[in-house]
Order: sequence, then structure tokens, then C-alpha cells
Amino acid sequence: MSSFLSFINDKRVRDWFYQIALILLLVGLTVFFVRNASENMVKAGIASGFDFLWRTSGIEVPFVLTGYTQSDDIFALFWVGVANTMLVTVIAIVLATVLGFAIGIARLSSHWLLSTIAGAYIEFVRNIPLLFFVLFWYFGVIAALPQPRQSIGLFGVAFLNNRGLTMPLPDAPGNFRWAALAIFASWLGYWLASAWARRRKDRTGQDAPLLAIGIGLIVVVPALAIAWASLATRWDIPVLRGFNYRGGFVVIPEFVALLAALVTYTAGFIAEIVRGGIESVARGQTEAASALGLRPGRTLSLVVIPQALRVMTPPLTNQYLNVLKNSSFGAAIAYPDVVSLFMGSALNNTGQAIEIIAMTLAVYLVIGLAVSALMNWYNARIALVTR
Amino acid sequence: MTTFRILGAAAFLAAGVSMAQAQQLAPSPTLDAIKARGNLECGVHLGLPGFSFANDKGEWSGLDVDYCKALAAAVLGDAGKVKFTPTSVQQRWPILQSGQVDLLSRNSTITFSRNATLGLNFQGINFYEGQTFIVRKSANAKTAADLDGASVCVAAGSTEEKNAADWFRERNLKTTITNFQKNDDAIAAYDAGRCDAYTAGVGALAGQRAKLKNPEEHVILTQPISNDPQGPVTRWGDERWQLIVRWVLNGMIAAEALGVTSKNVDEMKANSKNSEVRRLLGAEGGFGAMMGLSNDWMYNAIKQVGNYGESYERTVGMGSPLKLERGQNQLWLKGGLLFTPPFQ
Repeated sequence: MSSFLSFINDKRVRDWFYQIALILLLVGLTVFFVRNASENMVKAGIASGFDFLWRTSGIEVPFVLTGYTQSDDIFALFWVGVANTMLVTVIAIVLATVLGFAIGIARLSSHWLLSTIAGAYIEFVRNIPLLFFVLFWYFGVIAALPQPRQSIGLFGVAFLNNRGLTMPLPDAPGNFRWAALAIFASWLGYWLASAWARRRKDRTGQDAPLLAIGIGLIVVVPALAIAWASLATRWDIPVLRGFNYRGGFVVIPEFVALLAALVTYTAGFIAEIVRGGIESVARGQTEAASALGLRPGRTLSLVVIPQALRVMTPPLTNQYLNVLKNSSFGAAIAYPDVVSLFMGSALNNTGQAIEIIAMTLAVYLVIGLAVSALMNWYNARIALVTR
Repeated sequence: MTTFRILGAAAFLAAGVSMAQAQQLAPSPTLDAIKARGNLECGVHLGLPGFSFANDKGEWSGLDVDYCKALAAAVLGDAGKVKFTPTSVQQRWPILQSGQVDLLSRNSTITFSRNATLGLNFQGINFYEGQTFIVRKSANAKTAADLDGASVCVAAGSTEEKNAADWFRERNLKTTITNFQKNDDAIAAYDAGRCDAYTAGVGALAGQRAKLKNPEEHVILTQPISNDPQGPVTRWGDERWQLIVRWVLNGMIAAEALGVTSKNVDEMKANSKNSEVRRLLGAEGGFGAMMGLSNDWMYNAIKQVGNYGESYERTVGMGSPLKLERGQNQLWLKGGLLFTPPFQ
């Protein structure tokens, strides 16, 4: 008896018991809900299962990255939505980070006007719902741009109008693949050269001519590669026929409006994170750096920001996840993301609400987990190493 | 002992009588719920002038709304006892499937796959619709075939979205279709110049043109590219409820064919020698009771709402701002498609 009592009083045993009980409860609840839903659907005569994914979709999408056409199946339509969601999310995260850093640093500037403007921007953005940004940019962009026949021509090959930016598209992308390879190789070369220069400086204290190498490998070689690829390719140049320009690749205004809204909105929040991160670095660090003779710019980039990043990374991860979720606002302005295409068009055509909503949730979950895994890895890498 | 026998026989008889009743009238959970609740819950369009539209006082009117009112009059005796639930294109099927409304009367096309896979039944046709386009007069388009290269705004997930995509693809016309979540968003984008054309049924277009900034600058193409029959929708199960929904619609059309209107319905009920009219209005035959309703079900509906023709003229026809010709929506007797089985 006493051995039984000591067994159930063992903390590890009880911990295990609670874990197992919780798992059983969750599994049981899931089974209950799934069975309940499927029984109700059978009773109501609603078809279930994932067979609908292989039906022909018949839906036309104005902005496709995957080679989808309307005679493909609904699963292909799903991928178009996923790709469009990821495209706008990734670009918005990068641009919002750049803009947010700029505004956050401006907010801390000793220049009164600059910091006031940055502060006003942050307060404005934080207190306005995102949907207003999306609609403002969308109807703002459309109202500001001319009709196709009065398009703004850019060098006679690209055209901007209220149907989007129509750009020339290479007929055969082969040359561009080689150019991309060359650019990658030269950037890799620069990375190796700078690593070598750092080692040499540690050993001998001598500076290498990195600036010249950098300009050569980062700017000149890629420019030459792109110039060569452009000249060696036949271009599909858009021409005005009937209602609009034909040919080329169109960046639709819905994409631009959604991207602009996500970037300007999220940048306000990131700016505050940047400010908080920088202010969390002890003042003595800055003073010590200037005592050593570092100029303010170098103090910021070598002393303050690396320490601030540790504070900033967890809340930045939250903002990145918000960008992913907020990209679903594109549905309000017909940006063909996964919500609009799959949960909108496909759901209405097939009526498979449960399956489609589950798949869409899974998409956000998988992308979101990938973003936070990446950020956690980065966080671990920049964590303060104590010896 | 004999008392027991007599009691037993009485119980048996009572059971037999109630079973006979049960056989005659299968249970209808929907009807029972409506009677218990005291009103009909009808899913309608968010806002489509002529079909289903709420004014600034929250009063609903339109062809689809009239049908709901007639159904409420037939079931509850009062056309005012309807609770209207506005539904978007996306919400309409789940709201009906989950039982939040008793039926949908909202300008939705009857299609095979909806019938076969969504657990829905379509109870007849109250509007024969054809899909067409609205374009700016300056675009100089006469038919849909002139829209080669145009950009078209449409509501996502509507039958119009697929119809238009199929129609242009079959003819090798390169048209871009931009899908909005709501009809209102799509037409706002068309009005803002995002698209060269907006596509929907001709009835919807007639109503929506009035909402544009300069309605006279736009023209509706006359040749439809599809046939989109529309009517009340119920969910699977509850056959008796489906029967009621179907025959109230038939009754409104039959009333027009038989010359019964909201004005002459009292006189017709009292004096008509036509037995179909008498059965329709409950003067003979007891048709209402066969479905578990009162026998003056159609009398109430016609008295309070009117026959199909009266409703059409008032909501979308010449008596309304939409000014739609009867066209296909004319009675079969007058060259249209409206036809009902007899009240026999």
C-alpha cells in the first residue's frame, strides 16, 4: 500500500499521468468532432472526401506563377493560391523590415523633425485597421492610374495602367538561368574573399582591398551577366491591341495594393520594436563606444544593433506571422491568394467546406511554423554567447 | 377482464387512428419549427434591387422576397411573418445546410453539381436568367465576342465566374477575369475602371446599373451567354416541407394563368365555377390539409402578396425601375417558359 502511495505521489509519475490524460482527451475530442461532422454530412446528403481536388477547376486566375491554366484540376488551383500567398508574404516581410528599421531609427534620431514625423507615422499606422490600408491603396492606386489606352510607357517596353504593370517577358528563359548561376557564383566568391580577408586581418593586421573586389563581384559581374542574357534573348514585348496590352507579364494592381498595405502597416509596428530594442541597450555601451572613438554610425551598427537584435527577434517573429495571416486581406480586393481562390472560388464551386477550410488552415499553419522555425534558429544564432 | 379488453381495444383503435394520420402526413420538422417559432426564416441576397433589397427602414422587397412572403402567408397566414437573413455568395449553402434558414430564395442558379453534391434540392424556377455583361458605351462592344482582351470583374465562386471563363476559352478569346468576394466589390471595381466589363445575370445587372456613378454611360449587352434558371432552394430530407415550398411557387404561377389576382381573389373564391380555381383557393378539395396547412393557404398568399405576374411587374417588370420585359418569364400560354402541373 505504501509503495502504491509513494508511486502515485511520485512527481514524475503524476506528470506522465497528466500528459497521457491530456493527449487522450484531445484525441477523443478530435475523433468525436470528425465523426460527428461526417455523420451529419452523410445525413444531409453532402458529399465528403478529397476527390473533388482532381476535378477540373474551370476558374481563370489573372495572376499565376505556377503555369496553371483553367483546364487544370482544383489541386493545381490550390497551389496557385499558396504560391501567391507566399509571394506577397515573403516580399512584404523583407520590405516591411527595411522600412520599419528606417522608421524606428529615425524615431530615435536627435533630429527633431525626423523623429516627430516617424513618431506621427507610427501612431497613425497603429491606430488604423489594416482593411482601410488595403482599400486605400487599392482604390488609391486604381484612381491614380490611367486607362490602358493612356498608359504610362516606360522606355516603350513596359506599360503602367489601371490593369497593372505589363512588362516584357523573355521567350526562352535559358539565358537567364545561366546569368542567375553566374551571379550566384560571383556572390559566393565575394563571401569567400571576405572570409579570407577577415582571417588575414586577424593574423597580420593588414586590410585587403575588399571594396574594389566587392564592387567587382557584387555589382559589375551581375550587371554584365544580366546585360548579356537580355541581349541574347528574344523578348515578348507587350503591344496595345483592343482593350489592353497583350503579351508580357502583368503585375496586377491587387498585388501592388496588398503589398503596399502590408508593408506600410507592418512597418509601423516593426519601427516600435526597433526603437524598443535599441533603447534596451544600456547607455553605457554607447558611451563606451564613443570613448573608444567610434563615430555614431559605427556605434550603431557594431555595438548597439547587434545587442538590440536579441531583444527584437521574438517580437519580430510575431510581426512576420501577422504579415502571413494578414495577407488574407487580399481576398477583399480580389488578390488571388489561397483564401480568395481556394476558400472562395473552389469552395463555392464544390461546396466541400470542411475539407477546404481544413486544407487552408493547414497551409497557414505550415508556413507559419516554417517562419517561426527560421526565426528561432536565427535567435539561437545571435544569442549572447557566454564563456 | 372485459373492461381491460374494452380499454385495450380503445387503445388499439386510438393507436390505429393516430397511425393512419401519421401515414397521411409524414412528420415535417421544418414546418413544426416554423409554427413553433411563429415566423419563416428565409435566406435572401445581401442586396439586389428588384430581387431582394432592404430600404433604409429595413423593409425588404423584390421578386425573391415576395416569394418568401407568399410562403409565410401560406404557412402562417401572415405574409409579414418572415425573418430575412441576408446571405453572401459564400455563406448561402452552409447557412441552409446547417439549418439556420428554412429555405433560400436568393437568385442562385440551379446546377447539376449543386443538386448532386451539396445536399440541396431546387423546388422549381421563379426566374429564368441569362448571364450577360455590362460595359462602358465608349468600349463599342455589341456582343460578348467583342470583349476579346478585355478585363472582366465577377463575384468569386458564382456560376458566372465559370460560365464566363468557359465561354471565352471555347472561343479562344484572351480575357482576364478578376474574382471579387462579393458582387458589390466586383461592380465597385468595374465602376472604378479596374475592369472593362462586369458580368452577372441580366436581372442583377439591370438592378446594379442604377448603383453606378453615371448609369447612362454603361450598356448591358443583350445576348446572354448562358441560361441560369433560379428558384427556391431547400436542403435534403423533409419531403413535406419541399412539397410546400414547391407548390406555393406553383400556386403563384397557376393563379396568374387562372386569372386570380390579389384584387379579385375574394370574388373568385366565392363565385368561380372553375374547379381548379376552387381547389387552389381552398373552396373545395382540402388541398392545404394534405400538406398540413390550412385550406386557404394559397388564398392567403395571393390575397396578401399577389400572383406571380403581379409580383413580377411590381418588382422587376414595367412597374419597377428595372423595367425588365417578361421574356422567358412569361406564362407558357403567352409564349414564355412558366408552366405548372395542374391543381388536381
